[in-house]
Amino acid sequence: MNNTGVKKRSGFVLLFVLTMITSCMREPEIQPNTYEGNFQALWNIIDTRYCYLDYKKINWDSIYTTYHQKLPAIKNEVAFFDLLGNMLAELKDGHVNLYSSFDRSRYWKWFEDYPDNFSTDLIEKDRYLGKNYRIAGGLKYTKINNNQIGYIYYGSFSDSFSDSNMAYAMRSFANCRGLIIDVRNNSGGSLDLSKQLASYFFTNDVVTGYIRHKTGNGHSDFSAPVEIITPAHKTIQWQLPVIILTNRLSYSATNDFVNRMKKAPNAIIVGDKTGGGGGLPFSSELPNGWMIRFSASPMFDSDMQNTEFGIEPDYTVNLSIFDMQKGIDTIIEKAIALIK
Amino acid sequence: MKKFVLVTLVVLSHLVAVAQQAEADKYLVTTRTNSLGYVSLQLTDPYLSPLTYSGSGFDFNHESRRFLSLHNNNISIQHQYYLVGAIAYNPAGTASMLYFGANYSFGMQYHFRPANRFQVLVGGSWDVDFGFKDLTRNINNPVNMDMATNLNVSGVIRYDVPLRRRTLRLQLSAETPVVGLMFVPLAGASYYEMFELGNHAGLTHFSSLHNKRGINPKLTVDIPFERSTWQIGLAYQHLKYEANDMVFKRNSFSLMVGTTFDVLSFSGRKKKLSPNFISTNE
Repeated sequence: MNNTGVKKRSGFVLLFVLTMITSCMREPEIQPNTYEGNFQALWNIIDTRYCYLDYKKINWDSIYTTYHQKLPAIKNEVAFFDLLGNMLAELKDGHVNLYSSFDRSRYWKWFEDYPDNFSTDLIEKDRYLGKNYRIAGGLKYTKINNNQIGYIYYGSFSDSFSDSNMAYAMRSFANCRGLIIDVRNNSGGSLDLSKQLASYFFTNDVVTGYIRHKTGNGHSDFSAPVEIITPAHKTIQWQLPVIILTNRLSYSATNDFVNRMKKAPNAIIVGDKTGGGGGLPFSSELPNGWMIRFSASPMFDSDMQNTEFGIEPDYTVNLSIFDMQKGIDTIIEKAIALIK
Repeated sequence: MKKFVLVTLVVLSHLVAVAQQAEADKYLVTTRTNSLGYVSLQLTDPYLSPLTYSGSGFDFNHESRRFLSLHNNNISIQHQYYLVGAIAYNPAGTASMLYFGANYSFGMQYHFRPANRFQVLVGGSWDVDFGFKDLTRNINNPVNMDMATNLNVSGVIRYDVPLRRRTLRLQLSAETPVVGLMFVPLAGASYYEMFELGNHAGLTHFSSLHNKRGINPKLTVDIPFERSTWQIGLAYQHLKYEANDMVFKRNSFSLMVGTTFDVLSFSGRKKKLSPNFISTNE
């Protein structure tokens, strides 16, 4: 090989290496820690990462204009927090919160504007859970209706339970005709526990939903749907009727549980429409250190319908004031009637 | 005459035996260095937060080096283990991130000796890098892991500085990744989706200079004392990589103190290495 060839080749190699080294990595712009900078940072996070702007038909640009013009009047941190909190409330999403050292913004109208459909006093009547129920992990359980029906109250998907816990509960229901799982006022927690609880009521692995995530800054830039499968538990399978009791405070992971149970072979959903919360929340933060939580990954039912606004029960039942005065939980009574 | 021949044969055979013994008793000695350091670092992980976290912690480094074979005193092989643990805070000090990192590398280097007391080592290495970051207050994205394997170019410059009572060794080493593979999470996806639901697409990336750059220069001084050789050093690490529309950064500065030794009983000024032992320190 002659010298010219060697020089040319060396030149190309050098050019290639220099191109590689000098090619820039696109680092995002970090806003300054000012009212303006923090406002921009929050608005951008929602604009690029919140998953329901298009689905909820929210004009986020217009919201920017409305709230940005209020910024010059802001004189202190608390007023600034309230401004940002009010802007986030426009999203009408229980999974959206702004956390500072002195407050947490929230949107609670998804349950405040609806009937409670749950009373701790009622379920603690001797007719239902009573005072002598058993507690296995996060599950409170007993037998009701002359020991003919098993009843489990599960108040939070953040309270874990094991297969062993559930095995003991189900063993105690061996002679029952059916089971009631009450997830009213359960506002969510772990999706793993949601899957685990649902798995006891399936005999085959079933696709019960889908999830997507944002892949770009556009409001509708989403990944292809990924299947959410509810597996059948290998050793514990309840094959008698199971009634799931819901109200508007059945939210987030509980919404996911109800969505799974919609596909369980012997399950019936009774009560009020769930509160929703179908977007898996993510966290980010502002230059001033405040944390923002927002829905990032939309979840769907098995028909690819969004579950953000809640899941309709098979039987819509509200607590009757007259029943409540008599110490009767209308929703539990409906469940008992369905099992009978 | 017969007696003279016999004595000569005995003496010669003894000399030959001693020579063979001397050859057979050559041993390769591994030089080991252990050091502990105080580390100051900055972490940028957009999967967890758009902000850069700064903090401090401690690191530990173990390095061993020996020549490839008795007959080749020009190529050495090197093993290195590095551990670091630190806690870092966001600029406003409202959140903390726990960081744990580990790295193992295996390398080979050629020893050039252009002048007396001066060595230049040039070669490459393969490493496995692991990092764990925990931003506890986050919801559904509280943890991120760094996992990567790289082929690196590495180099060392050594110079022995003779003083009146001891000889100091100055050493400057550096390494930079050239190609490799790395795990990077999907920007908007939770670990639930990636691992529980099995959405693995787009998690593994080929890395080269176009999307991953780093360098870790380290300056050390070996100071021999009566019975041991101590090493003090300053180390800087810079790593920057991009994938899945996120740019990750890790910068650290470490002040390290440790000891270096060939074999435990051959260290320091008074415990010289026997000529039968071949060390990369010589």
